[in-house]
Amino acid sequence: MAAAKQLPGPQDLSDDEREALEALLFSLADDEFVIAERYTEWQVRAPTIESDISVANIAQDELGHARLYYDLLEDFGYDEPDLIWERDADEWRHSTLCELPFEEGDWADYVVRSFLFDEAEYIRLQALEGSSYPRLADRIGKIMAEEKYHREHARSWLERLCEDDESRARMQDAVDRLMPHALTLFAPTDEDIEARIDDLGIRTENLLTMREEWLDEVVPRLESVGLHVEEAQLPEQYDVHHADFDMPDELGRDQSHTDAWFDLYDEFTKSYRELGRHEAAKIMKDPDDE
Amino acid sequence: MSSEFDPDPTEAQYCAHTDYSEGTAHEELPATGEGSVGIERDVWDALYTVEDPEMPISIVDLGLIYAVGVEPETGEARIDMTLTYTGCPARNMLRDDIRSAVEAVEGVEDVLINLVWSPAWSTAMVTEQGREDLRDFGLSV
Repeated sequence: MAAAKQLPGPQDLSDDEREALEALLFSLADDEFVIAERYTEWQVRAPTIESDISVANIAQDELGHARLYYDLLEDFGYDEPDLIWERDADEWRHSTLCELPFEEGDWADYVVRSFLFDEAEYIRLQALEGSSYPRLADRIGKIMAEEKYHREHARSWLERLCEDDESRARMQDAVDRLMPHALTLFAPTDEDIEARIDDLGIRTENLLTMREEWLDEVVPRLESVGLHVEEAQLPEQYDVHHADFDMPDELGRDQSHTDAWFDLYDEFTKSYRELGRHEAAKIMKDPDDE
Repeated sequence: MSSEFDPDPTEAQYCAHTDYSEGTAHEELPATGEGSVGIERDVWDALYTVEDPEMPISIVDLGLIYAVGVEPETGEARIDMTLTYTGCPARNMLRDDIRSAVEAVEGVEDVLINLVWSPAWSTAMVTEQGREDLRDFGLSV
């Protein structure tokens, strides 16, 4: 692919360039922040002490990744309250996969969700390594190195939970429930803006191609452990052929969300609101505020 | 795909082994301030006094500092640094420790800390001295 022209620093972008970057960065950052928020619900509740520590650590990594993307949005003048604590719930752009509550006590839900998410994230990161926006491209290698362990963790649990029939049946339920929402990871924020993100080389693969790559990765892997994906035809490489899947009513990316999101948002902003805060309390200043 | 998991407890196996990659070595890293002179030398010396909050190792020997420069006219010290991982909870604490240490250097008027993520930190960035300090602490890298 021809290398796109390098974009300038944050202060020298045109309005169109900045709008495209913001849409992409909010999608990336919000996915990480919201899924981490959900993952933390497993702390002290995961089935083994190792998995408990793993899920806590993965949540912390995802928050770290969210921060790396939010830092880039702060370049445009936003501060932490603008980005998180005071941003209206209906302005968030994360995929609905990240916001759904876990089925109560269902570790299969966590395993399937993290598997679908981490495989998608890896494909998305590969398309950002060569981004024309240097401040974004620079941080992708670090994130990918951490994501490698997340994929390994999810894949290993995927296999273990498909070892017996009862457990596999619960995994299948989770796949049926979560798959439509996972597809929203590749839904557009807005068709024009997505096309501009590609034209400007901010991302080196478009959403449709990434979705195909992701299906080619996750569908055979799910099938290899005895799970199946409704409507998915067996993929043939390099061919755009997957059936049109049914998408949920709310896509997330376009700022439409399920009711579960509004409840989650109320929960994690509760202390901030009830204490009457107008700025994020910090023990120390942030290095990026320098 | 076969699984290593075996439900028979008499044949229990350890859980999957994770291979932690060493990461890539970079010619110019770790930066240690070797050969620096004047105020820059003093800044490096100040940075050596700052320790990781969790381990008794200097942040320079841990390989977190990528570059130091002092503007002779303004006395502005610029520190390029990274963190071991993106979710590092000590981000602000380290920054504050670094700022206090460098501000105390004679001739430094201002401190600019620039957080960078490329090249990504890995254990390949730990100096020989750092490896020794970590070994004393019970960690082998």
